[in-house]
Amino acid sequence: MSDPIAQLIFLIIKAILMPVLIVMMVAFIIFFERKFAGFFQGRVGPTYLGPWGSFQSFGDIFKLLSKEDLIPAKSDKAVFRLAPYIIFIPAFLVMAVMPFGPVGGQANLFGYRFDYVIANFDAGLVLFLALGAIAVYGVVLAGWSSNSNFSLLGGLRAGAQMISYELAMGFSVVGVMLMANSMSFVDIVNGQAGDFWHWYFIPQVVGGLIFFVATLAELNRTPFDLAEAEQELVAGYLTEYSGMRWGIFMFAEYVNLVVISGIVSTLYFGGWRAPLEVLDFIPGPIWLFIKICAFVFLYMWVRWTIFRYRYNQLMSIGWKVLLPLSILNLAVTAIVVSVAG
Amino acid sequence: MSAERPTLEELKERKVLSRQRVERSGEVMTVSMGPQHPSMHGVYRAVLDLDGEVIVAVRPEIGNLHRGVEKLCEERTYHQIIPITDRLDYLSSFVMNHGYCEAVEKLMGVEVPARGRYIRTIASELCRIANHIMWLGIHIMDLGTQTFFCICFRDREYVLDLLEMLTGARLTHSFGRIGGVAKDLPDGFDHRCRKVIDFLPQRIAEYERIIKHNRIYYKRAKGVGIFTSEDCYAWRVTGPPLRSAGVARDLRKDEPYSAYDEVDFEVAVEYQGDVYDRFLVRMKEIRESCKIIRQCLDNLPDGPFLARDVTHSLPLKKNVLRDSAAMIQDFYQVFQGPLAPKGEVYRAIEAPKGEMGVYIRSEGGAKPARIRFTTPSFYHGQALPPLVEGEMVSDMVAIFASIDVVLGDCDR
Amino acid sequence: MNAAIQLEERFGARLLESVEFRSELTYVVASSDWVEVLRFCKEAPGLAFDQLDCLLGDHLPERTAAPFEVVAHLVSHVYGHRLRVKTSLTEGQSLPTVTGLWPSAGFDEREAWEMFGIVFDGHPDLRRLLTVEDFEGYPLRKDFPLQGTVGGRIRTDLRGKI
Repeated sequence: MSDPIAQLIFLIIKAILMPVLIVMMVAFIIFFERKFAGFFQGRVGPTYLGPWGSFQSFGDIFKLLSKEDLIPAKSDKAVFRLAPYIIFIPAFLVMAVMPFGPVGGQANLFGYRFDYVIANFDAGLVLFLALGAIAVYGVVLAGWSSNSNFSLLGGLRAGAQMISYELAMGFSVVGVMLMANSMSFVDIVNGQAGDFWHWYFIPQVVGGLIFFVATLAELNRTPFDLAEAEQELVAGYLTEYSGMRWGIFMFAEYVNLVVISGIVSTLYFGGWRAPLEVLDFIPGPIWLFIKICAFVFLYMWVRWTIFRYRYNQLMSIGWKVLLPLSILNLAVTAIVVSVAG
Repeated sequence: MSAERPTLEELKERKVLSRQRVERSGEVMTVSMGPQHPSMHGVYRAVLDLDGEVIVAVRPEIGNLHRGVEKLCEERTYHQIIPITDRLDYLSSFVMNHGYCEAVEKLMGVEVPARGRYIRTIASELCRIANHIMWLGIHIMDLGTQTFFCICFRDREYVLDLLEMLTGARLTHSFGRIGGVAKDLPDGFDHRCRKVIDFLPQRIAEYERIIKHNRIYYKRAKGVGIFTSEDCYAWRVTGPPLRSAGVARDLRKDEPYSAYDEVDFEVAVEYQGDVYDRFLVRMKEIRESCKIIRQCLDNLPDGPFLARDVTHSLPLKKNVLRDSAAMIQDFYQVFQGPLAPKGEVYRAIEAPKGEMGVYIRSEGGAKPARIRFTTPSFYHGQALPPLVEGEMVSDMVAIFASIDVVLGDCDR
Repeated sequence: MNAAIQLEERFGARLLESVEFRSELTYVVASSDWVEVLRFCKEAPGLAFDQLDCLLGDHLPERTAAPFEVVAHLVSHVYGHRLRVKTSLTEGQSLPTVTGLWPSAGFDEREAWEMFGIVFDGHPDLRRLLTVEDFEGYPLRKDFPLQGTVGGRIRTDLRGKI
């Protein structure tokens, strides 16, 4: 079998396995969110289905599948049906360019080279930012097509919030881009070779923090979850969705969570690299998995601890605090990189 | 933070900004918040006219929990009305019982013995603590975090356990009786109560540490929902919102009842009239309640807890089947009920949410001819338009939580 | 009491009746003097009744001349004293509103109208408050039965529509 055919077979296997693994992970992450929420709040969370309640997500999925699929009579039905998928699919696409192990190098699987990435794309970072922007369409279309005042308000608020924070996000990752001298995720991880003090979170500490806060807004999580604030707008742009359509929104949110945790660990924390060279024998995917879990936990911790900002305060933080800081970070990085050579 | 005392003019000036927003508004979108809504406290419906984020007009609609309490009371004897009063503000039931019993005792001229008065004070203050802790949990949950709500409810459980030990029920106590209370303090109550009221002030200090200096809470609550004292008088807003506007009116001090003139406590007053100050006022009230309970437990007098008034109060249950006089009294009280003199009376007490008053007009029979419960939430729900018009939608949730409306209280 | 002295000085015989029971002072006035007396109570410097604690309606069917009554409870934050002012109305007679003096009377008067049928002239929004919008009858009148007049209804007209 020649190399291209082997690569094609590997590609197909990776392309099928990756979404499946993510979906499995998301099912358990939803369960862990509820369990952690319980522990933070002094209660136990779900315990009924499975050992320690771990099959809760599957129970939820079955329940959602069995519900009636209500579509409001006066809604734009085509757009209403399409909107959840506009959010759902781009999240997976980013995982296609993220490396979860060493890329390039010698043959290591049955005599053929196995690249631990689905598509070694030169401009992975730009793809990530672009797909994040497409997700905004999904949110606004969901709100608009529901033909309800609440949903419209929620959709517009969420859309405006996501757009504002995408700018800060974009500028902060340009700092990483300058340091790695490339827009490809593979090169960024390779640029963090060595022990953990070579990782980009130390020189880019300001950029990293800005990115973390901006992604909290992208993910519509507390303290920036005004769009789905239960207490204020029932469920915002999700109000009219029921059954599995709502399930897809929830799934999309958690897939985004996993993907963004992966991006944070890739950009700032070395991706699939081990923190110390001696621990290199543990394969790359395992390290990436550990880092993704750590960041998912961090996002959950922030969600269950902090209050929600009011909408105008949220927007003013995005535009008046994060954006200037990220531009400043970019400027300083550019100067240092060009001076240090 | 609350060191400067703003004058009435300064407070009104701060409100002017929101008035200007209303006047500048353009096309409005009408949104109905409620009656089923995770944030509204019960089935309260507010129809909002929004211009973007700014609320231009609010039209409140209440009445979804109207049970016709006043009509029901006209067919019942004065003893039988006590469980009905439980269901008014069901989160602090004993206080409703207390207010009603005070009014009836004023009408009939019944004097409550000292021990009964002290036990009533203890139970009322426990209800006040439970109410304020729950208010805090709900207020913070409306602002975004459920974790704090669960923590507050955990602490409220201690108080509810005490109330269950004392009255037999967690929520609808029915503990007041005309002439005193239903039961004496059980064994072990003193010890357990002291443990709880020693523990609670530390918890309140912890809550204050988490919330008072929290940047997000400060931004969401400071300067939001200012209601001056003149507005409070005009709209009959009493209780913590009035005290947060600088008026030191507390019926426990101004028109004392039960054992409140025999204990030493301070009235919690703040001066800015916003949501933040209402939070501070309620936290201070919890601490003062703990002080009151401790003093009552220390000075608890001996004696009967229910007035030995044959014509107006029930006999002790243990005597009913043994003593013929008690049996006759029981028969008379249960089947006919106490007779009230002809006349009308109005008595208000300090409920946790505001001033609760009871008006009774009697024609001399065993049933009241007209009874009216003047509950604080009825007026607080009415005061929502002036409070909220010109503010933003997210602020509305915070403001509405701060004035503490419960629909059982509001709709009766 | 100071309030009693001032009111009697100002209104004299227009205070039709005065009762003091259980240390509470009650005045009965004619319905044509209602707003004037209440305005004096609010604005006179010695009285300063700045809060309307409650305003309620009442029905006394045994008093055939004027079966309806409106009772206002006033309290003063400045002096701390309380007062009750009452007026009697015949069937169908209306009373001017006091929402101009105390806006809190808005809901009170709506409830009095809804429960007794007493109309308040000049009220900004006189419609049903606590009962359903299409409710018929005035519940708190003494001739309205406790069980209501419609009995248990099964809303077959709403089948398939909710």
